[in-house]
Amino acid sequence: MNSYYVLNLLIYAAVDAMACLGLSQQFGVGGVTNFGFIIFQAAGGYAAAILAMPNQSANGAFQSYIGGWNLPFPIPWIGAAVVGGVIALPFTFLVGRRLRGDFAAVGLLVTAVLLNLLVTNYKPLLDGDAGLSLIPAPFQGEYNPLSSNYQWVFAAGSLVMCAVVYLLVRRITESPYGRSLRAMRDNDLVADSLGKSLLSLRTAMLVTGGAIAGLSGGILVSYITTWSPAAWGYAETVVLFAAVIIGGAGNHLGAILGAVLVPVGFEEVTRYIPTSNNLPPNLIPSLEWVAIGLLIVIFLWFRPQGILPERKRVIKAGQTPAAKAGDPAKPREPAKLGEQARSAEPAEPTPAAMGTAQAPSAGAVAAGPLLAGTAASGPADGLEPHGEIVLQAVDVARDFGGVRAVDGVSFSVRRGTVTGLIGPNGAGKSTLLAMLAGTLPVSSGRIRYQGEDVTHLPAYRRARLGLVRTFQLASEFKRLTVMENLLSAVPGNRGDSFRGALAGRRYWRDDEAAAITAAEELLERFGLAALANNYAGDLSGGQRRLVEIMRALMAEPRVLLLDEPMAGVHPNLARRIGNELIALCAGGLTVLMVEHELAIMDEFCDPVIAMAEGAVLAQGTMSELRSRTEVVEAYLVG
Amino acid sequence: MTIFLASFGFGLVTASVLAIASIGFTLQFGVTDVLNLAYGAVMIAGAFIAYVINQQGVSVWIGLAVAVVACSVGSVLLNACIYTPFQRRGASPITMVIVSLGMTLIIEFGVQAIAGGTAVSYTMSQGPNVRADGLILSAVQLVVIGLSVLVMIGTHVLLRYTKLGKAMRATAANRTLARNCGIRTSRVITITWALTGALCGLAGVVFAMDAGSFDATATDLFLVLILAAVFLGGPGQAYGAMLGAVVIGLATEISAAYITADYKYVIAFVALLVMLGVRPTGLLGKAG
Repeated sequence: MNSYYVLNLLIYAAVDAMACLGLSQQFGVGGVTNFGFIIFQAAGGYAAAILAMPNQSANGAFQSYIGGWNLPFPIPWIGAAVVGGVIALPFTFLVGRRLRGDFAAVGLLVTAVLLNLLVTNYKPLLDGDAGLSLIPAPFQGEYNPLSSNYQWVFAAGSLVMCAVVYLLVRRITESPYGRSLRAMRDNDLVADSLGKSLLSLRTAMLVTGGAIAGLSGGILVSYITTWSPAAWGYAETVVLFAAVIIGGAGNHLGAILGAVLVPVGFEEVTRYIPTSNNLPPNLIPSLEWVAIGLLIVIFLWFRPQGILPERKRVIKAGQTPAAKAGDPAKPREPAKLGEQARSAEPAEPTPAAMGTAQAPSAGAVAAGPLLAGTAASGPADGLEPHGEIVLQAVDVARDFGGVRAVDGVSFSVRRGTVTGLIGPNGAGKSTLLAMLAGTLPVSSGRIRYQGEDVTHLPAYRRARLGLVRTFQLASEFKRLTVMENLLSAVPGNRGDSFRGALAGRRYWRDDEAAAITAAEELLERFGLAALANNYAGDLSGGQRRLVEIMRALMAEPRVLLLDEPMAGVHPNLARRIGNELIALCAGGLTVLMVEHELAIMDEFCDPVIAMAEGAVLAQGTMSELRSRTEVVEAYLVG
Repeated sequence: MTIFLASFGFGLVTASVLAIASIGFTLQFGVTDVLNLAYGAVMIAGAFIAYVINQQGVSVWIGLAVAVVACSVGSVLLNACIYTPFQRRGASPITMVIVSLGMTLIIEFGVQAIAGGTAVSYTMSQGPNVRADGLILSAVQLVVIGLSVLVMIGTHVLLRYTKLGKAMRATAANRTLARNCGIRTSRVITITWALTGALCGLAGVVFAMDAGSFDATATDLFLVLILAAVFLGGPGQAYGAMLGAVVIGLATEISAAYITADYKYVIAFVALLVMLGVRPTGLLGKAG
C-alpha cells in the first residue's frame, strides 16, 4: 500500500462523493429521478478536456476533437461546471408537470444510452470510441503531475471542492427553499396547488445537480487525463443511485458515505481480486454489476431510508424571538387548547402572516359554542346582499375521454361567504373544484377570479393570487413534520427562492421566525401544538385533515376551496373548524366547500349550490334547497 | 430502388420482432402497472436459454419453445417475489422503476457472468431464400414475420373475444373497480405476467435469430426501440404497440440504408422524446 494508491482512492472518493451529493440534492431532496445523471458528469469531463487541451493538430494529431483552447487552470474546471449546468436546460421539458415521474426517468435513461452511442460513433466530435487522452493536468507545465507532492495537493484540492459542494447543497436543503423542494418530492400536485412552481424548482434541481456532476467530471479527467464513452455508460448512473439509496437519500452525509461504500468500495475490492486464468473472462465485472443490482433491491426492501436516514427537522416552540413574546408556558394538550385561553389574549399579528392576521377575531368568535349559531347566520342576515363576486365560473365543462364530468356549470361566489357545494357521488364537485384551482384544465368555459380571467393560469400562479385549494384524499407532505407542512405554504418567505437560499440563514431568519410564530398560533387554535414535530405521515386521518386545512390557511388565501374538509373528522372538531372558517370569513376570507354532511351545510354554509350529473341544479339556503323537488330527488333522498 | 426494397425487408423483420416484444411490454405495463425495465434482460436470458439447448445439438426451435416457457415462469416469479411485495407496501412508481433497473443489472449481468462476455450465435439453417422483385427474405425471416402476425391476431382475439381479455382490460382500466366487480385481479395479473413473459421469451429468441450473433448486453439498445414503439402508440395500448412497432421498425431500418447504420436508433430516440414531451399518452391514447 503506497501513498499513490491512497491518493488515488482519496481523489476518486472526492469525485464520487461530489457526484453523489449532486444526485442526493436532485433525487433525495428534490425528488427528480434523473436516470441520465451520468450525462452531466460526462459533459463536464469533455468540457474540461477540450478547454485544457491544445488544438488537435498541435497535440500529435492522433485524435480528433472540437475546440482545443489550451486554457489554463482553473478555467477547465469552471467550464466543466458551467457546461454541466447548461446542458441540463434542454431536459427541463421532460420534468415539468405534465409527465409522470417514472416516464421522465425513462426518457432520461434512454437519452443517456443514445448520447453514449452517438459520441461513440461520431469520431470528429470527441474522438469517438477511443476517447480523449493526454488531457493536461492543472499546472503541468510548472510542476510534475507524477510527483508525490503534486498529487497530495491535487487530492487536497479535490477534497476542498467536495467540501464546498457539501456546504452548498446543505445550505440549499436547510433553507425554506429546501423545504419547498422536499414538499414537491413528497407530493408534487399539492405543492403546485400551494404556489410552488414545479417547473422552476425542478429546473433548478437539474441545473444544480448538472453543474455539480460537471465539476466532478472536470476534476476526474484532469486527474486520470483520459475520457472515453466507456467511462460513462448508462449503468454508471445506477451505481450512483445505488450509492445514494444505500447511504440515505435526502441525507447529504449519507450520500458521501454511499459514495465511499459503493463506487470507491468496489474500485478497491476489484484491485485485490487476483486475476486467474481459470476464471472466465468478464466474470468479476459481471458479478460486480449483479452485486450493485442486489444492493439496490435489498436496501429498498429492508432499509429504504438508507444507512443514514433523512434527519428530522425539529422546530422547538418558543425558540424564535417572536414566539417568546407570546405565551410559551401554555400547557400542550390538544383537547384543552384553542378555547377560552386563546380568546382572552389576542395575538399580535405579524406582517408576514397576513392570512392569519384575523386570528384575534377568530378566537373571539370561536370563544363559546353558543356564539357559533349566530356567527353562522351572521353573514347571511347582517350582510345581505353579500359582497362583490370574487370567484366566477362561466359555462365550465370538463370531459374525461367521452365522459362529461362537468357539463357547462356557471355560478358565482361572493366575498365573505361560506358557500357550500353538495351533490351525489359523481356529480362533478371535485372536478369542478380542481378546475377552479387550476389542478385540472377546463375543456371549455371561463373562470374569473377577483375580476380577472384566470382560466389559463397554472395552479401555482392562482395559489399565489390567493386562490388556494385542499384535496379530497390525504395530501400531507409525509416526510415533513406538521410544523414544516404549515411553513411550506407560507408565501413570500425570503428564503423560499434559489437566491434566497444561497444568501444564507441570516437573510431569511426573520421571515422564518414570523412564519413559525404564525404556525404555532394556528396549531394552538386547532389543538395540534403537541404534534408540531411529528411527521405528518404518522398522524391519524382526522389530524391529517386538520393539517391540510391549517396549511391552506398558512398560504394566505383570499378564496379557500375545501374538498370535504370534515370527512373523517370528529363532529365536535368539525364544528370548531366551521366556526373558525366563519370567523375568518367575517375578516374577508371566502370559502367554497364541498361536503357531504348536511348538518355542516345547515349550520355553516350559505348559500349552498346543489350539483348532479355535472350540472348545477339549484342554489340557495339549505332550507330553500330542501323545498326544491329536483334537489331532493337527486340528492337528499338518494 | 433495390436498396429501398432490401431495407424494407429488414424493416419488416425488425418490426415483427419489435411487435412481439412491444405487445408484451405494453400489456405488462398496462395491466400490472409495473414499468418493467428488466424486460430486455429477460429477453436476452431467453435467447441464451435457447442457445444452451441449441448447443446440445437440439433444434433451435425446440430451444425457442423452452425459452418461452422459461421466461413465462421467470416473469411470474419476478413479479411474485419482487414486484408484488414492493407494490403491496405502497412503493411509488419511481421506486418500482428503480427496483426494475436493479433487476435489470441482476439478470443481465447474471447471464453475462454465466455465458461470458463473448458474442454467440445459434446453429441453424436460414432455409431457402424467397424473393419477390428485389425483396429477399430467408425462410427463417418469413417464419419470424408469420409468428409476429400470429401474436398480433392472438392478442386481438384475446382482448376482444375472451373473458380473460376483458378481465385484463378491466384490470388495466381500474384495478380496484375491477376487483369490486368480482374480477380476481391478482389472478389476472399473474396470468398477464405469464403471457407477457412468454411473449418476452419469444421476442428474445427471434431477436437473437434476427441479429445473427448476440451477447448478454445486446438488448440494451433494443429496449430503446421497444420503449419508442410503446410510447409512440401509447403505454398500455396493445394496438398502439403494434402500430408503434411497425412505424419504428420500418423507420429505423430504412433510415439505416440511407444514413449510417450507427445512427439508426436516433429516429426511435427522437420519436420517444417527442412523444414523452408532447403527448405522453401516445398516438392511440386518450388526450390527457
